[in-house]
Amino acid sequence: MAQTAAAEDPALRDRFERDVLPMLPSLYGAALRMTRNPADAEDLVQDTYLRAFRGFASFREGTNLKAWLYRILTNSFINTYRKRQREPQTVEGPDDLDEWYLFDRLGARSVEGSAEDQVLEQLPDDEVKGALESLPENFRLPVLLADVEGFSYKEIAEIMDTPIGTVMSRLHRGRKALEKALWDTAKERGLV
Amino acid sequence: MHHDRGTDCQETLRDVARYLDGELDPTLHVRVEEHLIGCSPCMHRAEFRRQLKILVSRKCTQSQVPAAVEGRILRMIRELDRAE
Repeated sequence: MAQTAAAEDPALRDRFERDVLPMLPSLYGAALRMTRNPADAEDLVQDTYLRAFRGFASFREGTNLKAWLYRILTNSFINTYRKRQREPQTVEGPDDLDEWYLFDRLGARSVEGSAEDQVLEQLPDDEVKGALESLPENFRLPVLLADVEGFSYKEIAEIMDTPIGTVMSRLHRGRKALEKALWDTAKERGLV
Repeated sequence: MHHDRGTDCQETLRDVARYLDGELDPTLHVRVEEHLIGCSPCMHRAEFRRQLKILVSRKCTQSQVPAAVEGRILRMIRELDRAE
């Protein structure tokens, strides 16, 4: 049976431990941003490793392991945890936001000689994570996959099983929404 | 000022996200790059976006996994090894 291959073949099992286990911090981080809570993130990442272990025999060495794992993670999230969380599936986006929302606002109040992004640098990591997590899921995932995980548009399209044009438009709108969330966070903290 | 600077700026700013993402075809990539080198207002905006992308990536990257989570995954894999 294919699903037992990783367990029966010691070489495959060693390769799983060597190549897939070191991905844990990155997968766990993505799981946290997806589920927005540690308990669900832990379950999600465990589920991902279980599926990856069982499917590892069908993964061809030399192809994109990271994208393969993120596809499993994303599928698992969409099929299981999203339903559990009952997050409203927002399809509406922040279409009305200016193209240069954050740049224009930070630039308007920036001190002479200080770069706009220095203000954002003062935001603690948790608040930037919180801003990302505040985005509706269909915008959060492309931004997470592109800007945090560094995947290409084509890889994101494969991971999310979505046409590349949809990825690009959601990424564009998601980034605008993130800029607004970062601005709101900076304002709440009195940085701007 | 170059007579079509306005259009150039508009086109550059429209493409700048895909430029920073490394998603433009080589011809367009060079065209955006050349415009940015010669146009400091556009360069300023592009640099802001580049830094923002880096900041989001750095601040949202998880470097630590709780030991309990790592332990659970390892145990699960070893149990699967025996069970399957």
